[in-house]
Amino acid sequence: MHLLSYLIFIPIVAALVILAMPARLSNAFRAVSLTVNILQLLVLLAIVLNFKISAGYQLIEKTPWITMNLGAWGELRAEYFVALDGLSFPLVALSVFIMFIATVSSWTIEQNRKGYFVLLLTLNGAILGSFCALDFLLFYVFFEFMLLPMYFLIGIWGGPKREYASIKFFLYTLLGSIFILIVLVGLYLSTKTPGQADLVHTFNVLYMQDPANLISGSALALDSNSYLGPYSFRLWAFLLLFVGFIIKLPAVPFHTWLPDAHVEAPTPISVILAALLLKFGGYGLLRFAYPIFPDGAIYFSWLVGFIGLLSIIYGALNAMASKDLKRLIAYSSVSHMGFVLLGIASATVEGITGAVYQMFSHGIISAMLFLIAGVLYDRTHDRLIENYSGLATKMKGYTAFVLIAFFASMGLPGFAGFIGEVLVLFGAFQSKFINGLIPSWMALAATFGLLLGAGYYLWTIQRMFYGLFSVKNYLGNLADLDSREYSLLIPLALAALVFGILPQLLLNYINPFAAEFVIRWFAPETLIP
Amino acid sequence: MGLNNQLDSIYESLGYVWPELILTFSILVVLTTGLIFKEKSHVTFVLSGIALAVALIPVLITWPQQPVSLFSNMLRVDDFAAFFKVLFLIGGLLTLTITGKKKEAAEFHLLILAVVLGACLLVMSMNFVMVLLALELISLSSYLLVGFSFDRKSAEGSLKYFLFGTVATAVMIYGLSLLYGLAGTLDFSSSPFIDSLMRTQSPLLLVSCLLILAGFLFKMAAVPLHLWAPDVYEAAPTAVVAFLSVVPKLAGMAVLIKLVLSFYLFGQSVYLWPEMIAAVSIASILVGNLSALVQTNPKRMLAYSSVAQSGFMLVGLTTLQLEGIHFAIFYGAIFLLMNFLVFAVLTYYEKHGDINSVNSLSGLGRLSWFPAFSMLIGMVALTGLPPTAGFTAKLLIFSSLWSSYQETHSMILIALFLVGLLNTVVSLFFYLKIPYFLFIKEAPVGVTIKSSGFSNLLHLVLVIALIYLFLQPDLLMGWINRITFVL
Repeated sequence: MHLLSYLIFIPIVAALVILAMPARLSNAFRAVSLTVNILQLLVLLAIVLNFKISAGYQLIEKTPWITMNLGAWGELRAEYFVALDGLSFPLVALSVFIMFIATVSSWTIEQNRKGYFVLLLTLNGAILGSFCALDFLLFYVFFEFMLLPMYFLIGIWGGPKREYASIKFFLYTLLGSIFILIVLVGLYLSTKTPGQADLVHTFNVLYMQDPANLISGSALALDSNSYLGPYSFRLWAFLLLFVGFIIKLPAVPFHTWLPDAHVEAPTPISVILAALLLKFGGYGLLRFAYPIFPDGAIYFSWLVGFIGLLSIIYGALNAMASKDLKRLIAYSSVSHMGFVLLGIASATVEGITGAVYQMFSHGIISAMLFLIAGVLYDRTHDRLIENYSGLATKMKGYTAFVLIAFFASMGLPGFAGFIGEVLVLFGAFQSKFINGLIPSWMALAATFGLLLGAGYYLWTIQRMFYGLFSVKNYLGNLADLDSREYSLLIPLALAALVFGILPQLLLNYINPFAAEFVIRWFAPETLIP
Repeated sequence: MGLNNQLDSIYESLGYVWPELILTFSILVVLTTGLIFKEKSHVTFVLSGIALAVALIPVLITWPQQPVSLFSNMLRVDDFAAFFKVLFLIGGLLTLTITGKKKEAAEFHLLILAVVLGACLLVMSMNFVMVLLALELISLSSYLLVGFSFDRKSAEGSLKYFLFGTVATAVMIYGLSLLYGLAGTLDFSSSPFIDSLMRTQSPLLLVSCLLILAGFLFKMAAVPLHLWAPDVYEAAPTAVVAFLSVVPKLAGMAVLIKLVLSFYLFGQSVYLWPEMIAAVSIASILVGNLSALVQTNPKRMLAYSSVAQSGFMLVGLTTLQLEGIHFAIFYGAIFLLMNFLVFAVLTYYEKHGDINSVNSLSGLGRLSWFPAFSMLIGMVALTGLPPTAGFTAKLLIFSSLWSSYQETHSMILIALFLVGLLNTVVSLFFYLKIPYFLFIKEAPVGVTIKSSGFSNLLHLVLVIALIYLFLQPDLLMGWINRITFVL
């Protein structure tokens, strides 16, 4: 069937096709890109039909990739190993959907379309590849491969401070991935393929997750007694993976690249950044850091929870103080991704389910928020909140969608954001009684974040949309949404509603994964002393 | 041994050194044809190209080569030497292709051949006298090559290189004389040499070994003997820089590997060789990368980058194990490709104007995307990011370092591991500077750029090689894995 390979390689092949086309066919590039998105949606449909709702990996494709003799150190084996489970399935579906939205939203790009769409399609393939890969090396390659297209997309098509923002983004995320690489090198040399007579070092994540496959006596084995300063190597490895992924998430104090990158990036790229790239933080923790080093996760659970809480509160306070609409949305992302971290830290079924659900719902809602910010910026080239007032009187359709997006984002019941956040809070409250990983005051304090969220959104609505109509620094006629913008916002708004009213649609997939995850690595009876 | 026997042995040995004979012969031919066709530079260009290509044939057809000692233990042919010879010959060929028109072309081509010849002899040497002769052949020829722009600046660079180089050689000879006194023989592969080193307790042994290694660290441009690199790179013609940053560096590395293995005495040495190399490696990586950060001249920047890259090559050697050295050789081979790619694009841009500052490259990538794209791939490979073989090479040498750490639990190795990998982030900042100016800055009005089919083809070949070796590193590693070391 090779459904996942189609999903990953259709955009990459299309990027090569565009590269070979002459630059004057500038309208054709959009068409090719849109065709790719439609093909991907069809493949996604086939995947949905083939995906059975149960725990476990499906649609597995596995072929040897690199096999190399390391002499006395055995053999190195990396595979092209892709599959979906309850964690990656919602994120893959989200990616295909968001990439479609991003292409349509890129319709107005005028400057150097050829380069733009080549990079966009490469990014598309790399994102899907990273979500599907179950070989750590393959994941890492796709993961790194996202950085370059993103760097150029922000650096060439971005706003006035794009050069600073793009290099900051690149350096920050590269630092994160180097942390991951450090662990990767140590980890594969400590892992052997089970059932092989010879020593075969593997990058297979599923093998890495089973401590029985760690070579006894290696620095990262369970019985390892290698220490560096206060912590054992396993704890250090967890910390490195943790920091590597929360840079991407991003969590306070590693979040400072995000507002810059978001503010300077063109609208479609902001959408991809917020809706998809941030998800690799949570995904990486749930796929790699937690299952491979559960002992580290338990040891540092307080820290993880606290950083989550810090992000929730600090992000929300920053959002409240932001003068720029896009910056406000960027900080609200930091705040919402804090919930993901808190849910993961709780290591309860509710918390994990909530974290994955929150990633999905934030993907949809943040895409909507950035599109909304883009609509205004397209018209006036000004994003300062204080320069607007009474927009509701002139732009009725726009105001309606802003209200939907803001309410969805602040976690109003009935919207997708509510489900994720409430599940996370359930998990966080229960953690104390189930496994004792995070104290209940953190859960209590996190609820305060919801309140702050309502605060900055309502205040923004009041400042920008109510009152007498006035727009500073802009004299033209402020047009309401056009049909292309409606076609972007309606599907997103519908998705936010559908997944808020019928959460079972998604929970069916996520819940078996979360249950298995908790039973296998964080079973309560093994945790409570 | 009678004279007859000696003559017989020399005659037999000649059968093993075909590549060197071909190179020597072609140097003479190029010299004489250069005198005849003074104005026609392409004649000697073609001749030397053919010579390098033909010299590759005997190396490749005798692979795999059983180790054979030649000329009463002066030289030895083996797989290790053969692999490096292939790299040198390819390096020479690539240099010729990116050179373009030159004044005094015959001499230029002759000197390139002479450096390649010296490098080939150097990797085969088993005797310190031979090492010295081969090294001087490389050095003298490269001093001249640096001056080949025939202007004040390049004369200055040439002189600087000469002064630094002769001092390094003098220091090395001093070390050699000390070591000769201690060991009683100059054949560093022989058992009397090893035996006497094992018996020697004198701290003078360490001093003499370090003085000898200094000569090769100079050739590799590793810290603390890197000071010549930026000035020389800036002054020399770009094609020569490409050549000098690869061929003598790899030759220096090859001898360094042989000598350090010999000094290490299979782990019997009382001196901490792995730790010392690790210290040089850390220093090279740090100094190279941090100094490169502030450079605005692309060639100066690449000089510091080459200092850092030497540090990375030494990482494989710190393990002093077969596998680690294999990976160091792999890194060297990949370095040849990525460095030449970068310099090939630089010489291409040089044809359109000055490249004394990255500013002059502004926006060129927007005018013609392919050369700039090749530059990007080269820089990404030098940084060590996927999807290029530069990533694979870094992954492998750091894997060997980690394995070595697990065996020895030496703290400096873990420090090198962390410094090396974290420096990727630092290096990205300056490696990306050139692509940043090429793509993100706007080109000044009126700048045009001619697309050239031939150089595009060359770039394409190197780009494909770098990506292909990322996807299938076993292709090259399988070859390198067969290299064994016998002392």
